[in-house]
Amino acid sequence: MRAGLWDMLPASPAIAAWSLVTGVAMAKSALTLGQAVGMSLIAYAGAAQLAALPLMLAGAPIAVTVLSALVVNLRFVIYSAALAPSFRMLPMRERLTLGYLISDLGFVFYMRHETTLRADPMRTWYFFGMGLLVFVIWHLASLVGLFAATFIPSNWGLDFIGALALLAVLVPMLAVRSAQIGAAVAAAFSLVLRGLPFKLGVIAAILAGIVAAMAVDRRKEVSP
Amino acid sequence: MSPETKIWIAVLGVGATAVVTRCSFLLFGERLVLPESVERALRLAPAAALAATLAPSVIIMDDGALGAVENPRFAAAIVAAIVMWASRQMLWSMAAGLAAYTAVRLLA
Repeated sequence: MRAGLWDMLPASPAIAAWSLVTGVAMAKSALTLGQAVGMSLIAYAGAAQLAALPLMLAGAPIAVTVLSALVVNLRFVIYSAALAPSFRMLPMRERLTLGYLISDLGFVFYMRHETTLRADPMRTWYFFGMGLLVFVIWHLASLVGLFAATFIPSNWGLDFIGALALLAVLVPMLAVRSAQIGAAVAAAFSLVLRGLPFKLGVIAAILAGIVAAMAVDRRKEVSP
Repeated sequence: MSPETKIWIAVLGVGATAVVTRCSFLLFGERLVLPESVERALRLAPAAALAATLAPSVIIMDDGALGAVENPRFAAAIVAAIVMWASRQMLWSMAAGLAAYTAVRLLA
């Protein structure tokens, strides 16, 4: 568990910044403070909260709001499927606890060592440690954002810190050919499809990137 | 239904999507084992997911247009990527990226 906390620690300022931005956005919206706090604590999904917020405020049907959050959260289904080989033999309670603690960074960090971790009896604690740290930082920072929103101007570029964190995680992965191609294709699709509603373009881009990376992977196998 | 109730139901619904998507494949446990080919494909997911999320926030400018050379975020991302490649230190990379972002915006 300590290894998990330790590996995630360098990412915590970025998580705090991204969560703070989400909290500020919730607080500055037309939601009451109680609703904004409830939304942050219950949803625990920054991107989905930001996608659902304008729909809720515009009085969109509940089904539309929930559906848009679902689409933004669809990437968690990919994460959950990728983590299943490591955790599927655990009792239900542990599986669901680890599932609830899935985060973008936790998933990416775990997958870096996935093939070795799969046989490691401590992998559950490793993932739990990472997930717990993200969970605690996320909620603390979002509460700070919610209650201190009026003191935080929106032009600080705090949201850019989140992008820099993702970039820092991505760069070391690009040592492998399949990852380079997959990332390039995913980035291109994401830009071309950015006009699609509910961030569907991001989901399509992830799938396109996986397909491209697989094609490179397979060619390498045929002619080493 | 009052607007107040409607908002709370929507909040619970959004929360439910987060739980359902996160737990989806973990819920089935041993009863659902994906084929090896799918597992291999999923191992390629992180880089694609990061790039897809990252690209718009680095290349799309505040006015909604695409911009690389004239975009402070793009310039800052290049600096951060180079520092990350050289140092392998996440915090150094982020600090360099933020410094470059601030510098370019102040100079522009």
